[in-house]
Amino acid sequence: MADEPLSAEPAETDTDRSLVGSMLAPRYLLGVLGVVAFAAVPFVGISTTQLLVLIGALYFGMFAMSWDVVSGYTGEISFGHALFFAVGGYTSTLLNLELGLSPSLSIPVGVALAALAGVLIGVPALRIRGPYLSLITLVAPLILLQVFIIYGDVFGGELGLSSPAALVTADEFDLVVTANYYIALGLFLAILLLLFAVTRSNIGSVLTAIREDEDAVAAAGLNVAKFKVFAFVLSAAIGGLAGAMFVHTPVGSPRPSQLLALIVSIEVLIAATLGGMGTIVGAGLGGVFFYFVNDLLNQQEFTIPFVNVGLNEASLLLFALLTMVLIYVLPQGVFPSAIRAGRRLLGRARGNPVATDGGHESGGATSPIEQAADRYRRALEEFEERIGDDEK
Amino acid sequence: MADIVTILINGTVISSLYALVAIGFTMIFGVGGTINLAHGGIITVGAFSAYYVTNAGLGIWAGVLAAMAVPALFSVLLYKGFAERRDDIIIVMILTLLASIVVEEVVRIVEGSQPKAIPALVSGTTELLGSSVQNNLLVVFVVSWLLIGGLFAFVNYSKTGKAILATSMSPRGAALVGIESDRINLYTWAIAGLLAGIAGLFLGSYQTANWAMGREPLILSFSIVVLGGLGSIRGSLVAAYVIGFLEVITTSAIDPRLSGLAGLVVLVVVLLVRPEGLFGRELAEA
Repeated sequence: MADEPLSAEPAETDTDRSLVGSMLAPRYLLGVLGVVAFAAVPFVGISTTQLLVLIGALYFGMFAMSWDVVSGYTGEISFGHALFFAVGGYTSTLLNLELGLSPSLSIPVGVALAALAGVLIGVPALRIRGPYLSLITLVAPLILLQVFIIYGDVFGGELGLSSPAALVTADEFDLVVTANYYIALGLFLAILLLLFAVTRSNIGSVLTAIREDEDAVAAAGLNVAKFKVFAFVLSAAIGGLAGAMFVHTPVGSPRPSQLLALIVSIEVLIAATLGGMGTIVGAGLGGVFFYFVNDLLNQQEFTIPFVNVGLNEASLLLFALLTMVLIYVLPQGVFPSAIRAGRRLLGRARGNPVATDGGHESGGATSPIEQAADRYRRALEEFEERIGDDEK
Repeated sequence: MADIVTILINGTVISSLYALVAIGFTMIFGVGGTINLAHGGIITVGAFSAYYVTNAGLGIWAGVLAAMAVPALFSVLLYKGFAERRDDIIIVMILTLLASIVVEEVVRIVEGSQPKAIPALVSGTTELLGSSVQNNLLVVFVVSWLLIGGLFAFVNYSKTGKAILATSMSPRGAALVGIESDRINLYTWAIAGLLAGIAGLFLGSYQTANWAMGREPLILSFSIVVLGGLGSIRGSLVAAYVIGFLEVITTSAIDPRLSGLAGLVVLVVVLLVRPEGLFGRELAEA
């Protein structure tokens, strides 16, 4: 991670402020090491196939980060984020295949349409909240999928469309893959930096505050609606960008199973929850990890003993079970917990007693999941009051 | 003419199945305030319990019992594991969503994705309004309504049923007069599981059973309970018929490819226009 956001204070809700100064260096040093490691990947004897998987993983990571902007920050849990991924991917594909537009033009249009879809979902979000909004987000991609099936001659139905033009062309496939990898990595880092800048700025604080107590934010004179729609549009545009770029790579293709199916929306939720909701980096790394490991499991010939089931068959089942366990054990996700554990260890090593008790993480409604839950409860109560009023 | 009769008969039967599913879903919401996304998974559990018991040679009526008992037990386990001490609706939503993935994946891994036939409860056909109707459909219809009627009687006249009603009207008031909300929630989840399980068996014998069979009824029951008013049993019954008929009419009279779309559109429109649904929450605290 580069310099600009380093000076901004990390916006984790329960960071012990007195520690922030001394702890900046190690965690960002790790970040830089991570970037170097990712950049070095093509040179460490990785096979072309694995590099291809990593490309897909990076795009899925971008998609997971876009989910986190809305769900992790404003606390409106989206069960249908694949909608934006698909709008970007399908738009760019259709423009390229039907009108012969080059990816450099069709991708921006895909992003614009995805942003528009973000407005369409974001505006209802101002009227309905909590579980009701989640239901809308769950249903919206299902409707789009139905439309794709009904107009199968245009959208290719369940099978999808053929692949659009490639981003990079070269005589050697290895070269194409390597170039695609660096494009994906560059975009991943750019989106990470952008979302870091946004979420660590005042806007991010407002979004977090909306998650914690929407009414208080409104009472402070801030326009909650503006911020919510902004979060939805930003998230949709980035999800759409990831989707639009993804279909032009050798791994991605415009098919419902990759872009739109219910399972894609659930996978992104699993990935971001595993990595850590409301942290951007956690969600992004969770996405990369999920896609890569999921693919790894799918390639395995190994058969699980006793039950006699191939590991490749059971990957989604294993991830679902893992996420369930994790919600009980580490409700904040792996990434924030790892940071906290690291901070505690460092603190202990330096004989700093504050670090040990300052590291208590799960007291009160502090994790994004718990704050979102709180909001949902309030939305429900409000809703019941409204109906109560109607009946009088 | 025969077409209209077919639509009427199919609509009536499928609507009573949707009602079985939606009533359980709405009761859990009404009493505990939780949205159970594993409700579709329970349907699958019901269908496959019946499938296994019947295939083990115990007969379809033993299958019917299994399709009520196993899902009820499963539903109780879901409540105990995921919903009991958690009043955070979003965590329950995520956990039950994951639970439904687990059910789907286990069935897909064990049984594959080929649809399985569950034998009809009874064989033969009957002439009805000039159209021949499978007796099986008539039994499905009658048993569904017996269960719905039984539930209404139970809720309105038995002591436990009244306690369920009281808890859904006012958890605090119910607690004040000594009703244990944990026990009431447990009953609600058991009843919802039983109803969804039997609906799963009926769906399996009406169409076929497969690993993803719970998805469409789950989504349709969203539409139904939102249209009827979240938490309202009476509302879901009416809405089940509205959505059921819309579904049958669009798929049989307009285009079979529109399957599932009518319900989704209704859901979105209702959420945007009148989120409290047709019947509001008849049981809500005023």
